[in-house]
Amino acid sequence: MTDPILTARMEANRTDSNTIDRYLETGGYEVLKNALASMTPEQIAEEVKASNMRGRGGAGFPMGVKWGFLADSDPKYLVINGDESEPGTFKDRQLLERDPHQLIEGIVLASYALGVNRAFIYIRGEYPKPARRVQRAIDEAYEKGFLGDDILRSGFSLEVSVHLGGGAYICGEETALLNSLEGRRGEPRLKPPFPAVEGLYARPTIVNNVESISNVPWIVANGGTSYAAIGPERSAGTRMFSLSGHVNKPGNYEIVMGMTWRDLIYDVAGGIRDDRALKTWIPGGASAPWLVPEHLDAPLTIDDATTLGTMLGSGAVVVMDETTDVVKAAHSIVRFFAHESCGQCTPCREGTKWLQDILERILRGEGREKDIDLLLDVSDNISPGLTWPPAMTTICPLGPSATAPILSITRYFLDEVKAYIPVSEVAGV
Amino acid sequence: MSSPIATWSAEGQERAQQLLALYPDKRSAVMPLLYVASLEHGHVTNEGMQQVAELIGVTATQVRSVATFYTMYKHEPVGRYLVSVCTSISCHLLGGDEVLDAACGAAGVEVGGTSEDDLVTVERVECIGACGGAPAVQVNYELIEGVTDIKAIDLIDWLRNTTPEVVLADELQQLFGGQKSFDWGVPEPDGAIAPVPAFGPYGSAEEGR
Amino acid sequence: MSDTTTVSITINGVDHEVEAGQRLITAAEKVGEYIPRFCHHDKLEPVGKCRMCLVEVEGPRGKQLVPSCTMIVNDGMVVDTESEVVEKAQEGVLEFLLINHPLDCPICDKGGECPLQDQTMAYGPGESRFIEPKRTYEKPIPISDVVLLDRERCVLCDRCVRVADDIAGDPLITFNDRGNHVQILTFPNEPFSSYFSGNTVQVCPVGALTSVDYRFRARPWDLEVTPTVAAHDTVQSTAEIHTSRGKIVRVYAAENDHLNDGWLSDRDRFSFAANHAPDRIVSPKRRVDGSFEDVSWPEALNTIAERLGGIAPERVGAIGGAHNTNEEAYALGKFLREVVGTNNIDAQLGDGFNAQLAAAVTPRATVDDVESAGAILVWGPDLKETLPVLYLKVRKAVKNGATLVVASPWRTGLDSIATSVVRYRAGSGQEVLRKLAQGSAHEDAAAALTTGPVVTLFGRASLSEDPRLAESVAAYGRTLPDARLMPLLTRSNVFGALDMGLAPDLLPGRVGIEAGSAGLDAMGMLGAAAEGALDVLFLVGSDPVRDCPDPALAAKALDQADFVVAIDAFVTDSSAHADVILPAALWGEVDGTMTNLEGRVQTVSAAFPPRGQAQSLLEIVRDLAAIMGSGDILPKDTDTASSSLANEAPAYAGVSRESIFFESDGTGVVVPTGAGTQPLGYIPTDAAVPVVTDRFTLHFAPSLYDDGVITRHAESIAGLVPDVTVRISPRDASVLAVSDGASVVIDDFLTLPVTIDADVAQGSVVVPFNQVATKGLIAASAVSVEPVRGDV
Repeated sequence: MTDPILTARMEANRTDSNTIDRYLETGGYEVLKNALASMTPEQIAEEVKASNMRGRGGAGFPMGVKWGFLADSDPKYLVINGDESEPGTFKDRQLLERDPHQLIEGIVLASYALGVNRAFIYIRGEYPKPARRVQRAIDEAYEKGFLGDDILRSGFSLEVSVHLGGGAYICGEETALLNSLEGRRGEPRLKPPFPAVEGLYARPTIVNNVESISNVPWIVANGGTSYAAIGPERSAGTRMFSLSGHVNKPGNYEIVMGMTWRDLIYDVAGGIRDDRALKTWIPGGASAPWLVPEHLDAPLTIDDATTLGTMLGSGAVVVMDETTDVVKAAHSIVRFFAHESCGQCTPCREGTKWLQDILERILRGEGREKDIDLLLDVSDNISPGLTWPPAMTTICPLGPSATAPILSITRYFLDEVKAYIPVSEVAGV
Repeated sequence: MSSPIATWSAEGQERAQQLLALYPDKRSAVMPLLYVASLEHGHVTNEGMQQVAELIGVTATQVRSVATFYTMYKHEPVGRYLVSVCTSISCHLLGGDEVLDAACGAAGVEVGGTSEDDLVTVERVECIGACGGAPAVQVNYELIEGVTDIKAIDLIDWLRNTTPEVVLADELQQLFGGQKSFDWGVPEPDGAIAPVPAFGPYGSAEEGR
Repeated sequence: MSDTTTVSITINGVDHEVEAGQRLITAAEKVGEYIPRFCHHDKLEPVGKCRMCLVEVEGPRGKQLVPSCTMIVNDGMVVDTESEVVEKAQEGVLEFLLINHPLDCPICDKGGECPLQDQTMAYGPGESRFIEPKRTYEKPIPISDVVLLDRERCVLCDRCVRVADDIAGDPLITFNDRGNHVQILTFPNEPFSSYFSGNTVQVCPVGALTSVDYRFRARPWDLEVTPTVAAHDTVQSTAEIHTSRGKIVRVYAAENDHLNDGWLSDRDRFSFAANHAPDRIVSPKRRVDGSFEDVSWPEALNTIAERLGGIAPERVGAIGGAHNTNEEAYALGKFLREVVGTNNIDAQLGDGFNAQLAAAVTPRATVDDVESAGAILVWGPDLKETLPVLYLKVRKAVKNGATLVVASPWRTGLDSIATSVVRYRAGSGQEVLRKLAQGSAHEDAAAALTTGPVVTLFGRASLSEDPRLAESVAAYGRTLPDARLMPLLTRSNVFGALDMGLAPDLLPGRVGIEAGSAGLDAMGMLGAAAEGALDVLFLVGSDPVRDCPDPALAAKALDQADFVVAIDAFVTDSSAHADVILPAALWGEVDGTMTNLEGRVQTVSAAFPPRGQAQSLLEIVRDLAAIMGSGDILPKDTDTASSSLANEAPAYAGVSRESIFFESDGTGVVVPTGAGTQPLGYIPTDAAVPVVTDRFTLHFAPSLYDDGVITRHAESIAGLVPDVTVRISPRDASVLAVSDGASVVIDDFLTLPVTIDADVAQGSVVVPFNQVATKGLIAASAVSVEPVRGDV
């Protein structure tokens, strides 16, 4: 197995990997020094492009390609998306808390490559501790001259600050995040224009996930092709997976894609707690349609997930054992999306809440046979055809995300849904 | 002409000025300023929103529009300790709903309610990014992972009896937590002094300070 | 083949050539494919929120559902607006909108003209599958004195928010909360006090926003629609009067892209109550022993004719006529000049400036010129307070990229979007202008006026400003790149009146009268009357005691004049002095044409007959002339007046009610500048305006809702008249040792509270014009201010 990239330092230094002293002692900011001294911005961008790394926020768009879209007009901005809020996901929290300098070094390298002089790290409001750690790291970096004016006498200057969110999952969507950072409601914008052309304050802006940018120092140090060589072709590099639910060893694991789901759940995460049977799992955050044991031997890659009608998304794997009430589990997820809908477009605002209401009625024992068709048809009106990747009647993918658990439980566990419906309500009675 | 925030504490006023200077556009300061205003007024009040509006040069309606979009801005008074219990999928699978019931029972409140002594508010929240340490709870946004229903009752009782000035995550984790998502590293000296996120001078204090 | 300005698209298998750059929903509508919508509105930025307009467009990955309101047409686009997928999506969206919508259509003002109702019939699902409890809100809540909000009916289309924020610049109503709880709201205790709030009612696609005036008053199918213009200011926005059973129930904006873009000010929209006010004068009155008694029309007219018999023509004068139609004004002018024989005629009340300049300035800017200007200089009255729809147009121009310079003694509505603001002490404008023109100061402003076409909007910042400054500003404006000029007079149809010759130095058609032959202007007439040099004074819908710069002089003039005839709809401070009052028809009761501040002539129409025995001005002077034996001189009706003035006023040749109706697509016809005989000497040079250096100088600030007679009679907006305070600079406050809220005495008789205002230049004093509390104050440049000292 390849050595970890993102978690090597924190694994080796379990108490103080977040401090500048430890970071410097373990080779930190050396990449930056070398790059500023000997590399052009274009060369760095080339390495990132050559890495084939696909964004780790959920959408999986190649980071180097995204950088290439940045319009060349000053000022432009880099915004780090640390609004990690997808149920099941907690990897960015670890990277923020445990190795903030790795992120900052990545930010400086990326900003240099992009010609950006102002960067923001948007961290969700419920993460004050990660925010404090990042802020302390920023302060230290300023003190040591890794941030601010004329960094390491290179002539390159960069200001970075932390912006704390206010409690809204939708701000993980990059244009909603930009609205939020501008002091507005976190409602996704219409695209086009894309942020790379008109982003923060209507200026060209790149929004990258915490994990994506944390990879940049390694990529610049070792070369993009070295990174691309790790793992399967279209799922290059190592990747953080957040394992939770009914596994013996929940936690974040930095793995190389290509292993099977069986490897991940039974080997990496230590199998199902109390030796119970696996019932189902969510392969990529609450937005992803679920998989079941027949998929255990499928390889864990972005493309294979698509083939199975689901996605690796934010890398959150939520495992459910045989004792799980899948209707309640689905309800928890649907409730989440209804709660987090921004409310600007009709199908999401009305549809997610309607799905929640129907599920709650079913859970109360007041379901009707026809409610199953209704759940699916309401879902269809949010995500026409219930295809994968999902079609949308909505502005952003949040609404369609709420249909994933509906689709999953009706596809794999229809009997369990029906079991909630009183006999008197079953058709024909 | 008097400042719209002349009634704020000296720290609050200073922090407001820093925030106004931090961004290329003042409007970006609206969210952090709402936290400062919450701290000054106890929660997000009409007066606080009007003050923020005046500071950044928008209408109070526009500030309220933002302040009501995000769940962490509390428009009604909350207790000194805001206990947020996660019941999103990973926490749900491992007993989050039971933890919520237990916390409510211990505080003697319905979900969202505040205890009679005004010390504890218990709310249901969606995912707080502690899924590997489910079920998770936050007190004034300081995290505790691996909480059980019994520990939740202990937590509420402890908060009401001890009334700590500063809520320290490492202390709470040690007293009431269990399985963690990952090693937390060195203990944090900072903690929350109010039900707003302890980041920078707003809502935070270093232990013993 | 497509040329550069069109693209080929295919809609439902049919090929169309459509204009490039437009949105698919609009392009489709123009070729007859209507796509249903709620949030889309032609005049608002697209938001793509309601999702009703989803259609299928073929793309690289097959057909995709896209909102047609945000999609720009491109060449080769293949669109399906009625596929099964589209129909299902539209049905789905309608169902989503209806699940929480109340079923109160029978009592909803919108019932019968409701897009939601209509589209449910056309595209909606049959029966409701929604059995969960509906969302409920308190209903309806007043969000201002004129607008009510019913959140249960709201479909969250964002139209009202965009009107308030993007169009009007008053972001006072917006979304609150999140997800399923999102609702439109104002801030607690901060009402939606926008001058444009009524537009939100008109654009609301459901019955969520309703007007207090219209609520429960009528059903759409009972309404009669009369196209006309909103005649409250010189923009003369294109509008419709909606009547039910002979009464106006509401005024709607009409689409006129050359003018008001479908918007109205609230004054335009909600002032109509004056027509039906209980204290309208409905019969002629004659003063007998100090009080009025009703008389018949012949009695009233005979009284006047007798008084005019044998009088020296120069001892007769008329003030007013700015509220009348062109045809009425034309008849009035003809009566005075040809029947009486005097040039003592003035539609301005000492509130304007050089009539020849106002009527015939060249090159004259159109409102379209303002919209497409490279730069705009506004040096005149606060547009937001006086010409609100022109204010919207300037906002639009700035959005389109125009730079904007505002020069004013006090803050104006446009300051916040101006590239440069020149703030000057009231009375010192000439000095500021000289420096600006010479380049010795205000470099930012000069730099912002370099991209042509530069449109200069010039007028008097307030009644206390020297009228010659406007001439100087115009002279400066003419020197700017690709210059266009727009004169800013504000009163109703004053431009039409000037074009009809209601000025001492103008004949119909912008024809000048040599200086030696000109009559007296309004202030001249008042002065003459006060000195006993004028015997008979006609007040034609004018109230000089309240509206002219020197109320005391006006009152004295009306007392001293031997005989005063008021042609008016109300007893005002001025008409109360009259010997005879003739009941006048108001806007909405007369047919004719009117001319706005760009020279645009539009038709106005009577929606119902005049109240009581009231008559149009044309009928009044016609009958009076007939009694005086000159019946053949005056036109017998509007059409005769129209053709007669077209002959006599070459500028109006070919501009008739008929031609406007048939040739202008409802948008009116702009009378070309330079047409007709240009008056001599109208082009101002640098008029010598003295700089006032008194201790205090007055800015007599106009506000949209003043104590004018129409506002006073419109119940719904009468409450919006602002609080009256005296604004002084912080420095002057400290010198006078007065604090905020303390009282001062203005000009030795008017005691008012003080507001200390950093936007007031030192030495300036800002007092609102024409409010009850400022009654009697002379609009002179200099003013005195003394603190009131309590018992020590």
